[in-house]
Order: sequence, then structure tokens, then C-alpha cells
Amino acid sequence: MQGEKLHGKWILSLDGSEVPDRNLIGGKAWSIAHMRSLDLPVPPAFVITTNACAQFRETGTMPDDLEAELQAGMAWLERQTGRRYGSGDKPLLVSVRSGAPISMPGMMDTILNLGINDETALALAAESGDDEFARDTYRRFYELYGEIVLKVPVPEVGADGDLQGWRSRIEAAADRRIPSDPLEQLKHTVEAVFRSWDSRRAKRYRKHHDISDDLGTAVVVQAMIFGNLDENSGTGVLFSRNPLTGEPQSYGEYLCRAQGEDVVSGKFTPCTLDDMRDSAPEAYGLLIEAAHKLEVANREVQDIEFTVQNGTLYLLQSRTAKRSPIAAVRTAVDMCREGEITVEEALQRVNSCQVRSMLSPRLKDGAADNAELLASGLGVSHGIGTGLVVTSADEAESLAQSGQDVVLATPTTSPDDVHGMLVARAVITEQGGSTSHAAVVGRALGLPSVVGCGSGTVTSLAGRVVTVDGEHGNVYAGALEVVQPCETEDGLLDTLLEWAREHSPLAVYRPEDAPEDTLDLDGLDDAADPENLPRLIEGVTGARGGAIASDEGVAAAMAAGLRYIVANPTLPPLLAAIHVLNQPKSH
Amino acid sequence: MRDMHLVMHGIAVKKYGTVEDISSVVGLAVETVKDHLDQAVTTGRVNEVNGKFMLTPIGQITLKSSYAKAYASHRDDPGFMAAYEEFEKVNTDLKQVITDWQTMKLGGQTVPNDHSDSGYDSKVIDRLGDLHERVETVLDRLSAKEPRLKIYKEKLLAALEKAEDGDIKWVSDASIESYHTVWFELHEDLLRIVGRNREE
Repeated sequence: MQGEKLHGKWILSLDGSEVPDRNLIGGKAWSIAHMRSLDLPVPPAFVITTNACAQFRETGTMPDDLEAELQAGMAWLERQTGRRYGSGDKPLLVSVRSGAPISMPGMMDTILNLGINDETALALAAESGDDEFARDTYRRFYELYGEIVLKVPVPEVGADGDLQGWRSRIEAAADRRIPSDPLEQLKHTVEAVFRSWDSRRAKRYRKHHDISDDLGTAVVVQAMIFGNLDENSGTGVLFSRNPLTGEPQSYGEYLCRAQGEDVVSGKFTPCTLDDMRDSAPEAYGLLIEAAHKLEVANREVQDIEFTVQNGTLYLLQSRTAKRSPIAAVRTAVDMCREGEITVEEALQRVNSCQVRSMLSPRLKDGAADNAELLASGLGVSHGIGTGLVVTSADEAESLAQSGQDVVLATPTTSPDDVHGMLVARAVITEQGGSTSHAAVVGRALGLPSVVGCGSGTVTSLAGRVVTVDGEHGNVYAGALEVVQPCETEDGLLDTLLEWAREHSPLAVYRPEDAPEDTLDLDGLDDAADPENLPRLIEGVTGARGGAIASDEGVAAAMAAGLRYIVANPTLPPLLAAIHVLNQPKSH
Repeated sequence: MRDMHLVMHGIAVKKYGTVEDISSVVGLAVETVKDHLDQAVTTGRVNEVNGKFMLTPIGQITLKSSYAKAYASHRDDPGFMAAYEEFEKVNTDLKQVITDWQTMKLGGQTVPNDHSDSGYDSKVIDRLGDLHERVETVLDRLSAKEPRLKIYKEKLLAALEKAEDGDIKWVSDASIESYHTVWFELHEDLLRIVGRNREE
């Protein structure tokens, strides 16, 4: 069974025996084939190649012989999984996703659970012993099909729980039917993927980036794996290193007897990986091994989504992990010291924003320990803000105009309050969560914001001077001491600084080491706008002040042939200079 | 009478806008808007500050009491109200997309999106594009009954395309007609038409 391959005119199995050309199978199929070739467990999948898309675009209809190949492909998946598509007591469900050789916007999102209908939902309920799971699998397919294929807003299922009535409402809004026949579901979804290649956004993107319209997209059809079948099943996420701190231990979460969406939805509180080691020890061992293998193969910290079905591990996706600023710095330095990457690569992996974020002002260690905590809520926009609490936007504006630092506290905020938020040092609200107006606008303005502190907060804070910690969601009495971290006093930044000095094409001096004849831009008009810099720095050897230390300023300095600039901190402009040097010439 | 109501409604939606801002929202000629604004300033319903207009408290009350009559036909129209409910559904998604634009999940914790990862940003803008396709169908149905609402579709697409071209401030910057700014005004407009209050 393992060795069996599928090699049709339009369809190829992704069994890892070979890794076909990316242009033929697209990026997603390529990474599945790549993982299989590393001998990692991935749910069985096949790909409909970009050739089929090209044919579709030429004729406007699906290739004649594609349907027969799709059926052969499904039969192959059935043999791989021991399940049946669209019938039987162990129904096979599949996901369908688009996969162009280059990822681009406007391409169709993933549709899950194809193969579900009234009949297979019953079989799934019987197999899992969980009616709710079967209903949810059914609901999710129709929801995704409505939103993604038919492009209509899908209503909530009513309180009566009537799925049939709900489905009719989606169909009425779209004025189209959602097929019950599993093969029809598949064909329509594949066609929708092909059509998405010519969506407004995809066409626009290709034109903008000079990518040929003829490239076409592939379509990946993959068996669904269920993490909620029994106690030996579950789902989770594993990072090969800690993405928050950068520490070199794997980090993750696991939900026993659950599906991937459950982790993302926040419906359940996930447990640590220790739970997985206890309930599925064999899968756990393979997972840790796989994480290491993938990190070494990709030379990057990996973020791996996985599911365990009846004790068997399946990797769903592995990609470069997103990291907090400190984790980006630590992993770059560590991986370089471990010999996994070069110094040049380490420097490429850290940008000036991340370093500036690590150096941004914060409460002095211990400053909060003895401070009186007046209120706390959800910290939704990072930073520290201190000021006198006012309770209306108008009051904030008039006091701020007279030079007073103010903190705006209101029950909620609305667009009427934006003029007050613009001048405040921080915002506090009584109600609302991370998507509330105060949170959204606070973040847009880079304003420390704490929301949902509870009713009565505004009255209790009015007229007091407070310090707001927008990261941890705390409001303290008085003006607490804020410190500015220093680049030479942090072991990691210090190492990076040493490397950056060696590799930067532009010298960056600290103010105390500045040569005598440095041009001081702070004395000149317009120097705060990087666009004006080329004119201002023409012909000089070194400059300081204005926008010279920003990424754009550094680029301008290099273009103008400056030998050095003066800045504090020095690491962000050094990194910016290194990145300018390695930037591709186009856009 | 109808035009005066519209002009005041336009101020309420923009909160604090120029003659041109108000004219573009309500679909009246700039001159017409200007005449009505002058009149409303004289009667104490509107204040002018630095070339921008806002409602006075009395203006807000008069406006509020005139909605029920002005939009009675829409409020009684099941088709219009159904489309409005669909807008509210997409609005929930929009709030999530904007939140994901501003924050990222890292190992179960929420951290600010510092926009250093253009791959992440592109994906969120792509989701905004998906959502835009859904709201277009809703706006078409609303505009069929209230034609001036068409302008929002144009403004939203203009902001979206700028963001897609890489100028990311057009996603949620509060000081320009970004996607989120225009959306907020559209939402405010609809809430006033149907006579509902905003929910957090």
C-alpha cells in the first residue's frame, strides 16, 4: 500500500517517492511531498496539477478526463486510509486547498470536511460516539462552502438548531445550491479554486509583481484526520523553540480529544505537551524527533500543527515560526552559536523594529511591586503611559493643550472620543475586549490601552495620576519610574552588536564618539522627514539627528555615500544598513 | 427638509467633517450641502470649527428624533433589514480581522503586530479581501434601496487596493479614510438608518 503511486495526466499522489517541480504542483503540495520525503507522517494527499488549471482557463470548462482521474484519486485515498468517501461506516472526509507555485492573495481558502452529508454525518456520529462532533463537522462544511465558494455572509445556526433550515437560508442568500453528493462537492470546489486564480485580487497581484497569468494554481486534496475520535486522539501546536522567549526548549500546547479549530477558537483551555506524553507517548516521541528534523532541514525555528488519531501522529503543517522581538534576537544568536546558521544569516533574521522594541521604555524592575494597583483589565496595546485621569475626550483635549499629560478613562470609546485619544498618554475603558473600539483605535495610535476594567473604574480613577501598563493590563497609582534599556547591557544585543559592527557597510558611532565635522540635521528644517534627506546630506561624510537613524534614513545615507552616521542606540541603524545591502533590487 | 436631514446625518456619520466629506457621504452637491450648513449654523444646530462641522447638542437631538420618520420605509422593509443583519454578521468578522491586523498570536499569547513580517500582513490583507467580497453582495442589496450607500463600496475598495499595493496604513489608520475608518462610518450610517445602538 505504501509503495502504490498515482500518476495520471492531471493528478499525482504526494507520497514522497519524488518531489515534483513546484511549478507543476504548487507550494503547498510541494511542502507535503517534501515532508513525506523526509519520512515524516503527513495525512495522505494528492494534487491536481497546474496543467489542469491551464486547460480549464483555455477552454472555460473542466478537462473531460479529470472526473475519472478524480475518482481514481479518491479510490487511492480510500486505500491509503481504509475509509470510504461518501458512504460506509467509516466515512472518508477530505480538505481541498488552492496551491499556486507562488502564494498570492485572492486564492481560495481551504474548505474542510468535503464528503459530509446527511448519511455520512450519521456514520461519523456512530463511529465517534459523539453526535455533536458529527453535527459540527456538517455545519463547518456548509459554512465554509457558503462563505468561500458562494461568497455570502453565513448566518448563525438558529437557537432551534435546525441545520436544514439554516442550509436553505445560505442557499437562498447565494441563490445557488450546495451539493449533497460528495463527488459533486469535490468537483465544484476544485472548479472554484481554478476560478479564484482569475479573481480581482489575484490578477491585480500578478500584474503588480509581473507574474504570468499562465502559471495557474494546483489543488491539494488531503484526507481529514480527526483528533477527537477517542482518548488516544488529540491535536496541538509545537514550536521547535519557545516563540515568546526564544529559549531553546520545544514549546507547545495539546488538546486531548479535540480538533484543530478548537485550539484556535479558544473554546477550550489547552494543556501542556506533558499531557500528550502521558496519553500518546509514542506519538509524542515522534513529534519531538520530527520538530528537530524539520528545524535542521529548514534551518529555521518551526511552528508545527499536528493531530493524533487513534495514537498515530500526523503533521498537518510546518512553517517558520513567528517570534516575539526577544525570541527573534535570542534564536538568531543561539542558532548561530550552535552552528546551524552563519553570522550573516543571524543578522538577516533580526530587524531594527525588533531591537527598538526590546529597547523601548518599560517599568523599572520592581517599580510595580510596591505600587498600589488601582485597576486591571485586558492589556490590548503595549507601552507605558502616565498622566492625570480625565473622563471625557473634550476634557482630555483641553487639558492636553495646556501641557498636562492625561490618561483618558471612559466606560467605552466610540469615534466621538478619537480626538481625546489622539492627545492622551493612555486609555482605560470599563467594558470591551480585544476587538473593542478602544482596543482597535488604541493599537492604531500606538497608545497604551487597558480595556474591560469593570464598571465603576472611571469614577474611582477620575482626577488621579496613574501609570498604565498596556502590556500587562495594569493601572497603578502615581507616576512610576520608567527605564530605557541599553543595547550594551544586554548579553544578546551586545553579541549582535559586535557582529553587526563587523558586517555593516556603514559605520554608526555613539554620540560620545562622534567625529568633529558631523553634520547635525537637528538644526535643519524638514530633516525629520526621510524624503528630504537626500537633498540635505548631499556631499557630507557623516550626519546625525533628524531621521538619519531610521531605516529610510540609513538607506538615504548609504545612497548618498556617507561614511558614517551618529545615533543612539546604534544597533537598529547597523541592522538597517546590513539589510539595505542584501535587499533585492526590484521593488 | 429631506436634504437638511441628510446633511445633518452626514455630519453625524463623519463626526467632524468638511463640506466635501459630508457631500461625499450623503451624495448631495457641494453647493447644496454648503447652503444647508450655513442655515443650520444660523439656527444653532451645527458648529463650525476650522472649516469642519459638528452637530451641537440640540442638533443631535433634532436629528435623532427625525430618523424614525425619514427611514420608516427601510425599517419596515424585510429585505433591507435582512441585508442589514447580514452586515452585522460581516462586521463581527471585520472586527476580528482588524484585531488580527494589530495583534498576533504567539504560542497562545497575544502580542502586538509590529508589521515586520510582511507574509503575515499579506495574509491578513488577503482575509480583508475575502471579507470585502462578502460585504459587496450585502452593500449591493442595501444600495438598491438606499442608493447613496453605493459610495461606501467605492471608498472601501479604494482603501483596500491601496493596502493591497503595500501602503499598509490604509488598513486601519484612524486619521485617514482607511478601510476601518470607512467601515466605521458605514456602520454608524446603517445603525442610524435602522435605529440601533452599537454593541461592543
